[in-house]
Amino acid sequence: MIAIGKREFISMFKSIKSIIIIAILLITSYYSAKYSEILATAIALTEKEMANIHTVGLLFVLMFFGQLFVMGLSHDSINKESHERTMRFLVTRTSRLRILFGKFAGAWFFWFASILVSFLLISIFSLKFDFFIFSQVIALSTFQISLAILMSVVVPKPSITMFLGILIGLLAPILGAWIALTDNTWISWLKFASPYYYLVEDNYLFLIIFCLAGLMLAAAATIFNRREF
Amino acid sequence: MKAIETRFLNKTYGSTPVVDGINLIVKEGEIFGFLGRNGAGKSTFINMLTGITLPTSGSFSLLGVDGPSERIKKHIGVMPDYSTLFNSMSAMKHLKFLSSLSGRSVSVAECQHVLKLVGLEEAGKKKVSKFSFGMKKKLGIAQAIIHDPSLIFLDEPTSGLDAESALHIHKLIVSLQQQGKTVFMTSHNLDEVEKICSNIAIMKDGGIIKSGTMDELRSYYRSAITVQLKHDPIPAGEAQKLYAWLETAGTELQKTPAFTTITVGSELKIAEIIRAFTNCHVNIFRVEVNEPSLEEMFLAE
Repeated sequence: MIAIGKREFISMFKSIKSIIIIAILLITSYYSAKYSEILATAIALTEKEMANIHTVGLLFVLMFFGQLFVMGLSHDSINKESHERTMRFLVTRTSRLRILFGKFAGAWFFWFASILVSFLLISIFSLKFDFFIFSQVIALSTFQISLAILMSVVVPKPSITMFLGILIGLLAPILGAWIALTDNTWISWLKFASPYYYLVEDNYLFLIIFCLAGLMLAAAATIFNRREF
Repeated sequence: MKAIETRFLNKTYGSTPVVDGINLIVKEGEIFGFLGRNGAGKSTFINMLTGITLPTSGSFSLLGVDGPSERIKKHIGVMPDYSTLFNSMSAMKHLKFLSSLSGRSVSVAECQHVLKLVGLEEAGKKKVSKFSFGMKKKLGIAQAIIHDPSLIFLDEPTSGLDAESALHIHKLIVSLQQQGKTVFMTSHNLDEVEKICSNIAIMKDGGIIKSGTMDELRSYYRSAITVQLKHDPIPAGEAQKLYAWLETAGTELQKTPAFTTITVGSELKIAEIIRAFTNCHVNIFRVEVNEPSLEEMFLAE
């Protein structure tokens, strides 16, 4: 699992897409933190929101484009190996669970490292490191990576997951926010499956997001164990 | 000890059985050849044993461990068919990465040694994307043996290789057997199976139609040992008696004053034929024995 995770982690850093995404995260973090005082004067904010004003830019990017970024990098994490038949080398050497969790771990550490650097950059201006918000963001990323891995297991063709990834990446934050905030009783029960609901709650309920991610990984593992290569 | 044992192993796609209830035993330390035409089910059979596909029914064990089992994977080496390697890696990185997946970290020297064994000693740092088909094939074999497995599955190991490289791989396979490893290989090259395999199974339509040693298979198709003798002319008084006996000893008798050709069903008959000629005071100058090749047996099926 470590070998697969390490390979996934390193390969993610090597792609042009990942360099662009890291650049977006860092530039957004840097400038939104640097000019957060201007932003604070421009809009009406609560005391709590004022306290976290430095992270607003990064949170905006991750909430609205996070799923798109994750899908962009990990939509073919599993099915590319199946499509190119390199999966045959992997499944004859190690367990399918280790392959799946290795892939997940590689992607997770990539996002963990990228978000950590962004938060450290913000902390230069805010002079504090907000572990609570950082944990919330990591929970959201964990959910998004799990969704990308599940999609990559369920859909065998990378070209289709690329299309679906863009679609889900664009729709997820819109639908997620709507489901989390709507009063429509026919729809609102879905909020329990949306990570945005737990983030809006702004308490430790966000830990449930890790459970949702775990459920998706369990589903991915069940399907992956039955796959033939 | 049995290296491989399958019990009614079955694989069905839809309603079509691709592997149909195969029972097979491969002993440890032998080179086992698996023959069959395209679509016979050879690769599907190997894929089930190695965890690439899952059996529909039946069971199997590898090295005494019931499969599919994760703990046996570090003891087996697999060169699957139609596989593409990781193009972005060098040959050396390839071996290191795949070996680490099997739970064994190998040194650069070990990688170099294995690359030398397959004839790729100069290509260690070269990216796989720049490899020729033959080089990829050799690297496929290298990755199957890099972690020192006890049981090695090779699916068409020499197809697409030039004669010299194929011979090199044959020697490697034999040397692996001499180290006590079991090699299970499929091949379309019947000559190579005949030369290096100690046991053979012939597969057709998802089932094994015959298995055994080369000698057992030959005796199964035994009616095809052709004996040609070059001799003195047979004296007129002896010819009728000798030819009458030869008619009963074998089939397809062809006679000329200097040559006699006959097809017999057993090697024992050869000695009897020579004795019959000697008893008739006919000098024999040369005896040529042509046994059926595996290809001839294979085509007969």
